[in-house]
Amino acid sequence: MENKCENLSLYIIDQLSEHEKEQFKRHLKTCAHCQNELESLQDTWQTLSYDMEEVDAPESLKMEVMDFIFKEDEKESPHNPIKLFLTKHFSPLSAGITAILIIGFAGLLWYNLHLKDTITALEEQMASPAQIVRTFNLKGQDIASSANGTAYLLQEGHDNSLIIELNNMPGIKDDEVYQVWLLNNGNRQNAGTIKPDQNGNGLITYRMPKDQSFDDIGITLEPNPNNTQPKGRKVMGTT
Amino acid sequence: MKNKSDEELVKLIVQNHRPALEELYDRYINLIYSFSLKMTKGDTEKTKEIVQLVFLRLWTTKRTYSASQGKFANWILTITRNIAIDLIRKEHKHKGTVQLDHDEWEKIQGQQSENVLQEVSSNLLKQQIQEAKHQLSEPQKRLINLLYWEGYSLSEIAKLEEKPLGTIKSRLNQTLKKLRNYFSEETGGVRHGK
Repeated sequence: MENKCENLSLYIIDQLSEHEKEQFKRHLKTCAHCQNELESLQDTWQTLSYDMEEVDAPESLKMEVMDFIFKEDEKESPHNPIKLFLTKHFSPLSAGITAILIIGFAGLLWYNLHLKDTITALEEQMASPAQIVRTFNLKGQDIASSANGTAYLLQEGHDNSLIIELNNMPGIKDDEVYQVWLLNNGNRQNAGTIKPDQNGNGLITYRMPKDQSFDDIGITLEPNPNNTQPKGRKVMGTT
Repeated sequence: MKNKSDEELVKLIVQNHRPALEELYDRYINLIYSFSLKMTKGDTEKTKEIVQLVFLRLWTTKRTYSASQGKFANWILTITRNIAIDLIRKEHKHKGTVQLDHDEWEKIQGQQSENVLQEVSSNLLKQQIQEAKHQLSEPQKRLINLLYWEGYSLSEIAKLEEKPLGTIKSRLNQTLKKLRNYFSEETGGVRHGK
């Protein structure tokens, strides 16, 4: 302990290392001798500062000092408080890393939401198996009098689709197609085209737009595809 | 501003109140200037630099002074001395042994406000110091001068004096006690203990 007391004056003149200083502070708490001496010796050390000739500072000094401080101050602080906050808290490196993390996080979040939608859709499909809500018999006429077919209106969750299966269709020329029309109160809506195979069999699936309904199905032989209204002869229809 | 205490002014400065800084400047500039002029041995350019840094530190610091930490003049002079020593030591050639450790904020904590120095004018004080210094031996005077005013560390002084560090440490102890005892006899004010 005696050894520690020797550091009192070094503590007062502030020439202890950080470690020694901490040690001495601990010692000070328990050493009555040092506690008694500290204050008066500290006063003595401070008193030395008055060993000087007191002179008046030049008048012009004040402006120089204030300019020094406030110009310095303006230089160092950006006007934008947000920028100040950011520059205070983020180095360029950490800002870069933060940006990458934010982008990455946003990406993951988007992916996650997307995945969630997909899963919900799949779950709906699984929860509601496809079922045939209506069946139509199709009978050929005119050149296709030997043809027949079946159309199924299929419901899967909220979606409706129409599957049309045709047999014994007469062969057609290069550009010609069979075109399916949905008839609703006299209006015809294109529902796709079919080219039957060599045996005269054809299949078409048509995904029905929401709110579309129909009463009958008609099939025409069109001279070319993609007509919005029938131009050729009707060759099949619902019975 | 005029009737605010030093403590109140420092609090205002922490809140970026410029007039408070100017008021403190007016109150203490002569003290700080004179002190710095002595530290720099009369170099007015370096003195200006020190004064600027002292007030810049006052302006930018976010730690407040309170009267319980001792006399404001002592507080500001401790800051001034540390800034001056940093500057002086940069000019010392033998930097190898220099230990820059000036934690003035911590050091001045625990100082008492009941300081007899508050009651005596600085001229009287100066006279007393002069008289006290007469009581010191030549090596003791040199020690105080190198240590207090020139900013040398004890180990540097040991080298300059060609004496073991232990000798210089005990010389410091003796010198401080001698001065303390002289001050206390003269004023009956610098107290022993509590």
